Amino acid sequence: MTRLIRQIAVIARRDFLAMVATPTFLLFLLAPLFMIGFGAVGGSGAAQLGASSAGKTRIAAIAADPEATRLQAADRTLRALYRGEEGPPVLMIVTPSADAAAQTKELFARKDVDLTAVLSGPLTTPTINFNVPSRRHGEYLATLADNVAREGRTGLALDKRIITPTIAENPSKKTSSVRGQQAAGFGAVFVIFFLTLLLAGQAVGTLAEEKSNKVIEILAASVPLEAVFLGKLIGMFGVAVLFVGFWGTLIMLGVSVLPQALPVLSGLAPAIGVPAFFILGALYFTMAYMLLGAVFLGVGAQAATIREIQMLSLPITIFQVSMFGLSAAAASNPGSSIARIAEIFPFSSPFAMAARGATDPAIWPHIVALGWQALWVAITIWIAVRLFRIGVLKSGSGWRSLFRRRAKAA
Amino acid sequence: MNSDYAVTANALVKTFGTKRAVDGVDLAVPKGMIYGVLGPNGAGKTTTLRMLLGIIDPDSGSRTLLGESNPREASERVGYLPEERGLYPAMKAREAIAFMGALRGLPWAEGRARAATLMETAGLGAVVDNKIRKMSKGMAQLVQLLGSIVHRPELIVLDEPFSGLDPVNQENLEALILAERDRGATILFSTHVMGHAERLCDRLAIIAASKRRFEGTVEEARGTLPMRAHYVPCSGDDTVAKLLPPDAVRNGQGWRFTVPDGGPEPLLMNLIQAGHGIAGLTMERPGLHDAFVRIVNAASAGDAA
Repeated sequence: MTRLIRQIAVIARRDFLAMVATPTFLLFLLAPLFMIGFGAVGGSGAAQLGASSAGKTRIAAIAADPEATRLQAADRTLRALYRGEEGPPVLMIVTPSADAAAQTKELFARKDVDLTAVLSGPLTTPTINFNVPSRRHGEYLATLADNVAREGRTGLALDKRIITPTIAENPSKKTSSVRGQQAAGFGAVFVIFFLTLLLAGQAVGTLAEEKSNKVIEILAASVPLEAVFLGKLIGMFGVAVLFVGFWGTLIMLGVSVLPQALPVLSGLAPAIGVPAFFILGALYFTMAYMLLGAVFLGVGAQAATIREIQMLSLPITIFQVSMFGLSAAAASNPGSSIARIAEIFPFSSPFAMAARGATDPAIWPHIVALGWQALWVAITIWIAVRLFRIGVLKSGSGWRSLFRRRAKAA
Repeated sequence: MNSDYAVTANALVKTFGTKRAVDGVDLAVPKGMIYGVLGPNGAGKTTTLRMLLGIIDPDSGSRTLLGESNPREASERVGYLPEERGLYPAMKAREAIAFMGALRGLPWAEGRARAATLMETAGLGAVVDNKIRKMSKGMAQLVQLLGSIVHRPELIVLDEPFSGLDPVNQENLEALILAERDRGATILFSTHVMGHAERLCDRLAIIAASKRRFEGTVEEARGTLPMRAHYVPCSGDDTVAKLLPPDAVRNGQGWRFTVPDGGPEPLLMNLIQAGHGIAGLTMERPGLHDAFVRIVNAASAGDAA
């Protein structure tokens, strides 16, 4: 066993250094900068476009004082209940003219602002016109008018409360909602999927180097092929860890200097607890990488040419996306049959179990799942090695010998 | 029995599709010897070596490597230079040798130290830290050979080690093989170049058309062919041909023929009595090359029949 571990370490070390100690690795490591850069440029353009159109959107009330002042007071009170951009457009007060209908028509025809709803007529029987689909804005104007009318009848000012409420935090310290937990679960699925999509797919071409420069003959004569496959996988995983570590550190630094991001993250508090959730996320990323990487390595090892490896990239991506789809469904429906299937099926299990950590505080299912996934890593490598022996090294007598070597050894 | 032999093979069979590449090959390589596996291209030499090393499994038959029935168990005591040379082009020569040693259980640091010494001895001291891609094919081949012996193995398996080397490097390689044998290692190598085999091998096997056709020493191989004689008569009379064996052919002033089974004496007596005399007589022992060609041709003819 010690010898096998040492052999695995020799292969892993070689592969890790072969990847990291090259100028190309810098390009690989910094590749997300391009993504972030293009995303930022595109995002700021879209934001500017949105801001410019949103800044011109208005609702209007055709009213004279004192109703106009009361409408503005009622608007301030109601608007305070909305968060940021969730509120209705800015209220515009327009002095009435003789023909309210014609004035409304003119307002909707204005080019300098984009009116979505207009209130006209007396506040007790107002007429409210709106542009489809801004019915909500029309309803808002109606509520304003209704509140002003109530104030007129009762004499109670709208901006003053007639009760004295106590507004305090939940004494039970519950920090996350079911929705927040599911969002955390989906986030875990997405992050692990995204990282494996970026990193595990590289395993498909890993053995191509050894096959093209004939080193595979040296390796096959010196160490068991299981050590070659697992060593290469671990070497590649080391590169992935370096990548994740680098960007993870940068992101953590970014979050630490943006305190406004923390309240958003606190809403995602998982049921199992934040530290355990992150530890499980790291473990499940490891398992997802090893499982999918082993599949890709095994499939890629059968390819005879670079062209064949390129051809394999599509089915591999589809396989990864389908695992993501299954796991995302599990994250959306915790405890459902689809969630159980995704948790048990080995290649979606790491994603689905990470999502489970967000909604289920129990630890033991994760211990079982990690063992189950590790078993499947071993099974996948075992099958990949047997297929490589039969299909590439031409060992044994055809597919029937898939299980014969083990039987002989026994 | 196994303790005396570095390698044994018993009735090894390997079939690829419908082609039987190796057909019931037996081998026994005594420890401490240089053992050659000779055969024409496609005879099954490489497949046999790959089965012995455990790279591929035989369809049937058994083998032992340094006493182990599972070749994997002996892998750290074995060095191997495959027919198709393989090195990582981006690796430095010293690292490549240390890497091959590490695969066989040699610590990296010790591998690097030994690599430098070995390269110095082999005349590659100036390129210790050169990348493989910047070396000539011959140099790279030498680096790989050094990688196969850096861990001081008990058994060194070399598949066509001389191919691609210039005459100077071939001579260096022969010296290296002899030095390894003197160190106590067993060397098993395949070749189809008879000169190397004749100079190096303590014992050899000839494989032709997938089967082992001969096993023994070089002398024994040469002994499979009768002696040849080059006879020059005193007279220039062509009637001497009537007294010579049927395969006699004119060769300059004399005649060349196979010595009859009963030896040359009765024939020479007849020639003297007939008045032809003996102006010159050279007895020629056949070389390994002749024996190899005869054995391979006989195998081909036998299979064709």
